[in-house]
Amino acid sequence: MTTLLSTDGLTMRFGGVTAVDGVTLSIAAGELRCLIGPNGAGKSTFFKCLTGQYKPSGGRIFWRGRDVTGLDSFAISRLGIGIKTQVPSLFDGLTPMESVGLALRRLHGEAEARRRAVRALERLGIGALGHRRIGLLAHGQRQLVELAMVVAPEPDLIILDEPTAGMSADETNRAADLIRELNREHAIVVVEHDMHFIRAIARKVTVFHQGRVLMEDEAAHVFADPRVRDVYLGKAVS
Amino acid sequence: MAPGARTGLEIGAAVIVAAVAAVYLPQVLELFSLINATVWVSMAVLALSLGLVWGFGGILCFGQTAFFGLGGYTYAVASINFGDTTWAVPLALLMPTLLAAALGYLMFYGRISDVYMGVITLTTTLILFKFASSTAGDEWNIGEAPLGGFNGIPATPPLNFPLAPDQQLVPEQIFAVAVLCLVACYAIAKLVLRTRFGRVCVAIKENELRAELLGYDVRLHKLVMFALAGMMAGLAGVLFANCVFVSPTMFSLSYAGQVIIWVLVGGIGTLVGPVIGCVLVQMLTTYAGTLSWIDPNLLLGLVFMAAVVAVPKGLLPTASGLLARLTGRAQL
Ligand SMILES: Nc1ncnc2c1ncn2[C@@H]1O[C@H](COP(=O)(O)OP(=O)(O)OP(=O)(O)O)[C@@H](O)[C@H]1O
Ligand SMILES: [Mg+2]
Repeated sequence: MTTLLSTDGLTMRFGGVTAVDGVTLSIAAGELRCLIGPNGAGKSTFFKCLTGQYKPSGGRIFWRGRDVTGLDSFAISRLGIGIKTQVPSLFDGLTPMESVGLALRRLHGEAEARRRAVRALERLGIGALGHRRIGLLAHGQRQLVELAMVVAPEPDLIILDEPTAGMSADETNRAADLIRELNREHAIVVVEHDMHFIRAIARKVTVFHQGRVLMEDEAAHVFADPRVRDVYLGKAVS
Repeated sequence: MAPGARTGLEIGAAVIVAAVAAVYLPQVLELFSLINATVWVSMAVLALSLGLVWGFGGILCFGQTAFFGLGGYTYAVASINFGDTTWAVPLALLMPTLLAAALGYLMFYGRISDVYMGVITLTTTLILFKFASSTAGDEWNIGEAPLGGFNGIPATPPLNFPLAPDQQLVPEQIFAVAVLCLVACYAIAKLVLRTRFGRVCVAIKENELRAELLGYDVRLHKLVMFALAGMMAGLAGVLFANCVFVSPTMFSLSYAGQVIIWVLVGGIGTLVGPVIGCVLVQMLTTYAGTLSWIDPNLLLGLVFMAAVVAVPKGLLPTASGLLARLTGRAQL
């Protein structure tokens, strides 16, 4: 299978803190990958490097074999990489229709963008909220709006940083269904803390710990591994 | 109502109001008042330009007067040298646009934060003020035009008909041209905000990171928006030069501050608001000047403070909010 995205020794330092420490990882086309790891393991920072929000201190990033290290965020997005950030990133003063429309306007004409925006919102069960102000929506609804903005332009790789945080059980199930469905056509990398959710969607799991990849395996093996348990229980790992 | 129809309606209304003003006011106003009104209209264009870049581009520009003054000076110098204002006008639009583009490039591509943008733009206009004030003497002639130091260029010629230097516009005509320019700027701003570019600018103001992550080049959008507003401010300078004359005051702190007050009073995030704010504050200034029992600046300061406390969103948003409540329509 072709490799979509890969990193080679990716490193991000903040002063004395090494948040991402020589991560080498690759995502194949069509893959659904879960990233797990305790708080502060460096998952979000890793994503910020991938999406150009941070310029990495070291290492390389490749997209379909091409070195894209250090590109600006908008240029990375144009390659076909969409991200839902951990801290929701929305246009609070706009409506979901306007926001999703804008996500699509880069690729489509006005009418087509509107049609696709309606479809994207309906797919996530928030069609009725299309003309509300995003700033007035509930947290879970906002998560869904952001998800709609990210998936509507159909990027080749979708990065989701804790997409279900703050969602109701119902919304979480809908998101899990959506992720599986999206995965038929898009590669997805998702960070989650909820083990049931991961079991429900994942095949391959990568465990981050202290900025490094601790292990990478099938979900069942990962959860059975004592090292992973130690990490989550806060014990030191040698 | 469809957004397109609404934009059309708003522009149509503006055109009608302007046409009435341009025809009717010159008939009823004395010459002095008419020239004063022209000054206000030119200031309104300046306010509109700041309302656009600040309210819709989210760019805090404390030195919009830099482009205003540069437009005026370019117009004065070029028209004196050409002996004709026809080509002086486009040149006077070009120079502020270039300055804004250069300044914008430094600020946006240098990833300077909002507060420093305010500082840098304000500093720019103050530097130009200092510079223009220090240009007394013959060594500061540009071609045939003396920059004139603190006195400016009293010989700033009024507009003439295109390519007809001896057919100068009379004050009534200049007033009409100024009103036309104000409406044109309003319509252009309205239409630009309806394009994808304009919507992306508004989205950038809402959330820069999200716009970038959707694949939009944030810095380029800001640069273009900033340059466009710089051009409008330059046009305001040309109009101002036509009813007063150019002098370093155009770059001064007091002017730079006033524009911000007009926009704040009128309402950030609207286009008509800054125009209304500009005219109201100027009327008040004029009125305050006739009072002997209070210092006009003190009165203005008090009124401004009261305005900030009473209508923090600005007059227009507050008024339309009230109207919406009165008519029972849900406010979006
Ligand atoms: N901008 C920054 N400046 C300094 N340190 C940072 C910065 N961003 C992240 N860090 C540090 O880097 C480490 C990794 O943080 P990161 O947010 O990537 O972890 P995470 O795995 O996403 O955690 P969580 O599960 O809580 O989201 C943490 O120790 C954090 O304090
Ligand atoms: Mg995180």
